[in-house]
Amino acid sequence: MLSASQLTRTFDGRLAVENLSFALARGEILALLGPNGAGKTTTLRMLAGLIQPSAGTVRIDGEEMSRGAASRLRGRIGFLTETPGLWDRLTVLQNLTVYARLHGLEAPRRAADAALDLFGMRDRARDVAAQLSKGLKQRVALARALLHEPDIVLLDEPTAGLDPESARDVRGLVRRLREQGRAVLLSTHNLDEVERVADRVAVIRTRLVAVDTPAALRARLFGARLRIVVAQPAATFGASLEASGVRDLVADGSTLSIAVEDPAAAAPAIVRTLVASGADIQSVVHDRPPLEDVYVRLLEEEPQS
Amino acid sequence: MTRTLALLEKDLADLRRNPSVFVPAVLTGFFTIVLPFFVAIVVPYFTGERLSESSDFQVALEMYRAQPGARALDPEGAVQAWIFQQFLILLVLAPIAGSMSVAAYSVIGEKQARTLEPLLATPITTFELLTAKVLASLAPAVVLTAVCFGVYVVGAALAARPGVYAVLLTARPLTVVFLLGPLAALAALQLAVCVSSRVNDPRSAQQLGVLVILPVAGLLVAQIVGSLVLTLPLVVCIALLLLGVNAGLMLIAIRLFDRESILTRWK
Repeated sequence: MLSASQLTRTFDGRLAVENLSFALARGEILALLGPNGAGKTTTLRMLAGLIQPSAGTVRIDGEEMSRGAASRLRGRIGFLTETPGLWDRLTVLQNLTVYARLHGLEAPRRAADAALDLFGMRDRARDVAAQLSKGLKQRVALARALLHEPDIVLLDEPTAGLDPESARDVRGLVRRLREQGRAVLLSTHNLDEVERVADRVAVIRTRLVAVDTPAALRARLFGARLRIVVAQPAATFGASLEASGVRDLVADGSTLSIAVEDPAAAAPAIVRTLVASGADIQSVVHDRPPLEDVYVRLLEEEPQS
Repeated sequence: MTRTLALLEKDLADLRRNPSVFVPAVLTGFFTIVLPFFVAIVVPYFTGERLSESSDFQVALEMYRAQPGARALDPEGAVQAWIFQQFLILLVLAPIAGSMSVAAYSVIGEKQARTLEPLLATPITTFELLTAKVLASLAPAVVLTAVCFGVYVVGAALAARPGVYAVLLTARPLTVVFLLGPLAALAALQLAVCVSSRVNDPRSAQQLGVLVILPVAGLLVAQIVGSLVLTLPLVVCIALLLLGVNAGLMLIAIRLFDRESILTRWK
């Protein structure tokens, strides 16, 4: 649905984004990760048709986001900017109605009411935006980004500064967008959030460092591992496991970390070996390093531009 | 057009909730109205010297009596009518000066409030955006001019010699107030919006936009010293010139409005 091809953007000779290529499909949530200054916001702005790339193209369903087409194609995109950007002196309803009209909706008031219902904010419709809490402002901004029912939703740090409950609501909404078949690009620093909602992750630092599912990135960087906790010192069982064919084994206290090709297939045989060796097994889990480790490893391996 | 109207109505609603922004405009309008009354009515009343007997106004009296519309007035009324007409051009300046802050703040204000980026992410075009911004500052200016003019005429009817107010309702003054005024205001406000979309600070926009006041002030001075008689054909010519200036300014404004710089360089 949305594709970026060889996107490059310079500001006064300084590269902000270089040769960035990826695609975003319907019903997919792609998380854009990267350190501060990595070019995430610049990328979002190029995708939203707000700024032109110095080189490369953005396409929506094959149509290039050229200067001439940008105004029309922007109508297919819902963009949540980093700050809510509400008109403080206007009411919530006025804010939404103006945007419904800017998007050329036939029944702006009805669209604004529907957005308020969707976000459970009907009772706050007449409140002046300045009076809202940060979480409510963010909700209104989300409602604004979605009231024209865009195919593509770009979210720039949608849960930044929100309390845990509001952040959970926003994540729920992002999942609903996927269920509705929309393509969602989520820029965030919150790796837990990415873990919870994203189908794929794109890590950028000016260039694209990696793009894949979190599981695939883990497997690529760390391989698949089983973590087994036993009642005895783990090192006791090293020899029997190596004799059964285990090659990469780390014993630390009562925990064994074993590299395997396929955790589900390898676990029964390893458990049998341990039990036969007299181990009292307390737990067996597929060892998934946190996404933070994946992210840090990816950036460590990527030379800084 | 729908998008322009939507943004225009939003800006006007925003201004209605922030009426203090018009305090300078109202004060300027008030002093503009008071000044000619002070010169034509108050000063002669307290000095006991009739304007028509003052040598300072003889040339003005002769110039004015030469006009057919003024022949029905007595000498004192003719001088008063001359003064009221000369100061009429200040009514053109008042709303410009007053609304300049609104125009100067229009784009940079959206940027500072962080409302510009979501706005630019909609399908709105630069022309639609700038038109809405200019009209949002022009509309209050025109309303203020009309109100000031109404007060001016009523004041003249109540305080000046009989028939003086009627002179203010003839073609020339009406053209000055309702054609030349709005067009001059439009040019000034467009200039301010232009500058507002190029600078980081609304004060710069306001200061540069005020430059438009200079030619209008020049007209006033030229009239008073008698080197220029602002006849109806001349007013229409100036209005036509302003029409062209306004069209040119809009084209320039669109070219100058650089979404990318505004989004990426302004802090």
